Amino acid sequence: MKQTRTNWIKLDNASKYFPAVANNKDTKVFRIICELYEQVDPQVLQEALDLTLESFPLFRSVLRRGLFWYYFELSNIYPKVELESKPICAPLYFKDRRNLLFRVSYYNRRINLEVFHALTDGTGAFWFLENLIYHYLTIKYKDRFKDIPPLNPKASISQKMDDSFKKNYSEDIKYFNDKRKNPKAYQIKGTRNEENRTKLIEGSMSAKKVLNLAHEYNTTLTVFLTSLLIYSIYKEMPVNKRNKPIVLSVPINLRQFYESKTARNFFSTMDIIYDFKNSHPDFNEIIKNVQEQFRRNLTKEMLDKKLKHFMSLEQNPFARIVPLSIKDIVIRIVDKLGSNRITSSISNVGKIVLFEEFKDFIKQFSVCVSARRLSVTLCSYDDKLVISFTSPFEEADIQKNFFHFLAERGIDIEITSNL
Amino acid sequence: MKYCNHCKVYIRDKREKCILCGNTLPNAKDDGEEIFPNIPPYFENHLAIKIMALISVIIVVSSFAIDIIFPSEINWPILVLLGIISMWFSLYFLIQRRYHIPKKIIQQVAIISLLAVFWDWKIGWKGWSLSFVIPIACIGAMILIYVIAKIMKLSLRDYITYALLDGIFGIVPALFLLFGWVNFIYPTVICVALSIIFLSALFIFHSKDIKDELDKRMHI
Repeated sequence: MKQTRTNWIKLDNASKYFPAVANNKDTKVFRIICELYEQVDPQVLQEALDLTLESFPLFRSVLRRGLFWYYFELSNIYPKVELESKPICAPLYFKDRRNLLFRVSYYNRRINLEVFHALTDGTGAFWFLENLIYHYLTIKYKDRFKDIPPLNPKASISQKMDDSFKKNYSEDIKYFNDKRKNPKAYQIKGTRNEENRTKLIEGSMSAKKVLNLAHEYNTTLTVFLTSLLIYSIYKEMPVNKRNKPIVLSVPINLRQFYESKTARNFFSTMDIIYDFKNSHPDFNEIIKNVQEQFRRNLTKEMLDKKLKHFMSLEQNPFARIVPLSIKDIVIRIVDKLGSNRITSSISNVGKIVLFEEFKDFIKQFSVCVSARRLSVTLCSYDDKLVISFTSPFEEADIQKNFFHFLAERGIDIEITSNL
Repeated sequence: MKYCNHCKVYIRDKREKCILCGNTLPNAKDDGEEIFPNIPPYFENHLAIKIMALISVIIVVSSFAIDIIFPSEINWPILVLLGIISMWFSLYFLIQRRYHIPKKIIQQVAIISLLAVFWDWKIGWKGWSLSFVIPIACIGAMILIYVIAKIMKLSLRDYITYALLDGIFGIVPALFLLFGWVNFIYPTVICVALSIIFLSALFIFHSKDIKDELDKRMHI
């Protein structure tokens, strides 16, 4: 048997963090869901998956440990679509096991794509799912879609494999001086779900109506929902904890700021901090403050600095020659220490656009993440905005406050949960 | 779809109580859909290990008890204890790295070698660990890796690093010969000779693969 020469790829900057900190409580897996109007046909889904993989070679790689760094090794494993039988965001990376870093499952009308975050971010995964849905629908309804244009590849294979962190950082930028550490943030407490499962609560509503509501407050959708999350958390804060600020971690998709078409990770994060200082909050006040923080953080200059900061950690010669197992331990400790500086997180993956013709088949898209703490993710398709809360805790008071606020302002919400 | 009058939201899936506020939902014409599967709790079955743990405790405790009732010259309960610790040690690594067989074989060679030296030393140094156990373990591992690689159709990159490591291990006993630590030299000589031939074969046929594999694993 002749050996085929196999390729391997270094991990990008953000990916290096995930294998070190993934564990059973926080698997660093996220799921995106496409809900159809009809039952999913597993055979067609399998065919569609096989086709999709041809355009995303990186998805066929396995994660391996070298002496100094992790790396992706391209494998020839063929993924099988499976009937959903595991808790949401179940682990995908196992030390020393050679398996793919994503899974495609289905249940009744839903197609789930779960991805280990080292492989790609939300944007990359959505791109993969769009391809999958395209192939699924065009195979299943050959006659109806015989005139549909072929899926336009948005980028070349090499562009998709691009390490955009490395490509876009420049040595010249002055070192990011972030000595001013965030103070300890308020931490949400609760009863853990059985077996450390993740509780998902999805609210599906009209995107247009929520956008109109945001406009009433003179702001954007993301700022509005971020402020609403702060407000909802505040309502559940015990009085004696109100001296601590609420800190939300908000990921930023860097593709819109740099020229990149990568299907791998390319994001940064910002912290949105709101300190009530024992005062009585006013929702308009929160919005104003959050909007200002968004404006300050979302400048090219600020992002350049952050990029440089994270790259310099990786490029540091000392960090490079430390063996991987020690790196892992250090990253885990730093991550633990940093985790009490964040209360929650909110991520808007954005608007999904597919061919108009598919509208009759797709009800909605949604996205959720494994949750060490309460996390909010949202995306929209057509006029359906789906906001998903994942939480390690049984209590759902913050979720209740959040949806209640919207419902009271005349928005119809459909709630779904897994537990 | 049911409607929660308290939260003012529709509840899509089948349930009696509102997921947000916990209040009982009023009946509706439509009971709700099944959107997520009901996933039964996952109990890992460690019964075999628990039984083995209890048996180990019984053996150790009773050997100490017997020793106290019927004292003997040598302190044999300690040996029983160490024996059981050795077994668990070995077992732990065996279970841990379930997924990577060549790596596991190499680990077992290292564990067996260390334990053998330890035991040899503990029960009065006779040198059998260096003369027999280490060389035979190295040869055994070499053959085992090769056979398993062929049977399981592992690709070269899956086992080449471990084959290389085992070859290097196999040369180490040459030092025992040099320092005159072994009394019965045949296994050691065979082991060193085989290892050199094995390593040469690897380098002659697969030097490119070895280089690629090292580049990959050692990139800084």
